[in-house]
Amino acid sequence: MHPEAAPDIRGVIHDIGYRRYDGPRLGRLHGFGTLFLHGLRGVFGLGRTAKAKVMPFLMVTIMLLPAVVAIAVMALLKEAPLPYQQLSVIMQPVLAIFLASQAPVLVALDQRFHVLPLYFSRPGSRMDYVLARYSAMAAALFLILALPLTVEFVGELLVDPPGPVHLGAYLSSMAGAVLLAITLGALGLAVAAATHRRGLGVAAVIAVYLVLTVMSGVLLGVFMATGNDDKAQWANLINPFHLVDAVRAWAFGHPPGDFAYPDGLAGGLIPLGAMLLVIAASLGLLAARYRKVGS
Amino acid sequence: MNATIAAVTYRGMIGSRRIWLLVALPLIMVGLALLLRLTNQADEQLAVILMQRFAVGALLPLMGLIVGTGVIAREIEDGVIIYMLSKPIPRPVVAYTKLLVAVSLMIVFAAIPTFLAGYLMVGAESGVATGFFLGTAAGGIAYAAVFLLISVLTRYAVTIGVIYALIWEGLVGGIVPGARQFSIQQWTQSIADSVSSSPFFKADVPLGFAAVALIVVTLGAAIWSGQRLRSLSITGDD
Repeated sequence: MHPEAAPDIRGVIHDIGYRRYDGPRLGRLHGFGTLFLHGLRGVFGLGRTAKAKVMPFLMVTIMLLPAVVAIAVMALLKEAPLPYQQLSVIMQPVLAIFLASQAPVLVALDQRFHVLPLYFSRPGSRMDYVLARYSAMAAALFLILALPLTVEFVGELLVDPPGPVHLGAYLSSMAGAVLLAITLGALGLAVAAATHRRGLGVAAVIAVYLVLTVMSGVLLGVFMATGNDDKAQWANLINPFHLVDAVRAWAFGHPPGDFAYPDGLAGGLIPLGAMLLVIAASLGLLAARYRKVGS
Repeated sequence: MNATIAAVTYRGMIGSRRIWLLVALPLIMVGLALLLRLTNQADEQLAVILMQRFAVGALLPLMGLIVGTGVIAREIEDGVIIYMLSKPIPRPVVAYTKLLVAVSLMIVFAAIPTFLAGYLMVGAESGVATGFFLGTAAGGIAYAAVFLLISVLTRYAVTIGVIYALIWEGLVGGIVPGARQFSIQQWTQSIADSVSSSPFFKADVPLGFAAVALIVVTLGAAIWSGQRLRSLSITGDD
C-alpha cells in the first residue's frame, strides 16, 4: 500500500490466505454411516470409558450362558439342545436391561452435552440422525441375540448330537431376532429420547417394560383362573417380547413347548399389525421430539 | 433436617418431567384394580396377586429407583450439588433431608396407591389392603435409602438398581430360595403377611428376620450415605 496513492483510506482488507475447502465432500450417506457406527460402538462402550464397557459386556456374557449350558448338555447327555426360538423370551429381563441401560447412551448424551446443533448443521436432516441412531440400537439388539444363537448352532454342528440339525429353528430364530431388534429398539429409543438425563431414561424404559409385563401377567392369571384361555392368549401379547415372538411363531410355526399365542390368521395378522404400529408410533414420537430438541 | 434443602429437592422431583412417571405408574395400577372391580372379577385371591406382582413386584422397585436416585443423582450429575454441600450444613443432614423427602414421596406415590388399589378390589377384607399398605411403606423406605446410597456411591445407580430389582429379586430369587432372604420385596411381603389374614398369601421370609433386616438396611444405608457425602468427588465419566 502506498500512502501517497490514496491518503484518505482508513481501512484495508489484507489477503492472509484463507482458502475454500475444495477437497472431497463425503456427503449425507457417509454422515449417516458415521453416526450409525459411532452409535453401535457407543452402545457396547467402545470408544468410551472402561466403566461404560462394564454393563454391555456383562449383558453379552449373561446372554451367552444359556448357549454354553446348551452345548455342555449336548456334549455330555447327547440330548437335543435348548430350543433356539425360546432364547429371546427366556432371556427377556436381560434384553430389557440391556435396552434400558444402553438406549439413553445413544440419545440422551447428545442432548445433554449440546452436540445436536453440530450434527444438524451438516448435510443430512434431523430424521437422518434419528434413523442412524435407531439402526444402531436395532443392530446392537440383533447382535446381542444373534451371538448366543450362532454360538449354540456352531456348538450343535461341532458336537453333532443324534437327530437332524436344527437349521430351520436356528434361521427362524435369527429372523425373530431381527423382528425383536427393530421393534424393541424403536420403543426403547422413543422412551429414552424424551429426556436428556441418562438415569431417568434408564428408569423410564425399564418402567415401560416392567409395567407391560406385569399387566400382561396379571390379566393372564385372571383369564386363566376364569377359564377364558383364548382371552389369556391375547393378554399374553401385552408383553412386547411375547408380541414379537407371536409374530415369529405365526410366520415360522410354533416349536414344541412354545408359549401360548392366539391361533389362526387373526392370531398372526393382529400381532403383526400391533408390532408395526409400535414401530411407526415410536419413530413418530422420535421425529416429533427431534423436530424441536437441539436447536 | 433442613427446610430449604427439602424444598429444593421437592421442586426438583415434582417440577421436572419425572413427575409424569411418578403419577402414571400408580395410576395404571389403580386403573387396573378399578377395571377388575367393574368387571366383577375382583376377589381376594386376585387382589393378592395384583398386590404381589404389580404393587410389590413392579411399582415399589420402580418408584424406589426413580425417587431414591432422583432426589440426589440429578444434582450430582449436573454438578450443582457442590453449591448445596458448600453451605455450612453438615453433610449427613443433607443426606438425611433428601432421604426424608424420598420417603415421603414413596408413601404418596407407592404405598397410598397400593392401599387404594387393594381397597378398590376387596375393601377391608382380610386386611389385604392395610397389610400391603404397611408393607409397601416399610419396603419403600428401605428402597429409598438403598437407592439413595447407591446414587452417592456410583454414577450408574439406576442401572445397578435395575439389576438388583430385576435380576437378583426377580430371576435369582425365583430360582434360588436362599436369595429371597436378601430381597426388599420379600421383606415387604413378610410385613404385609403379618397384618393380613388372607389364606391366599404366605410370605417366604419370617417376620422377625424381615423386620430386623428392613431396619438394619435402612439405617445402615442412611448413615453410610451421610458419611459418603462428606468425601464426594465431582468428576464426570460420561
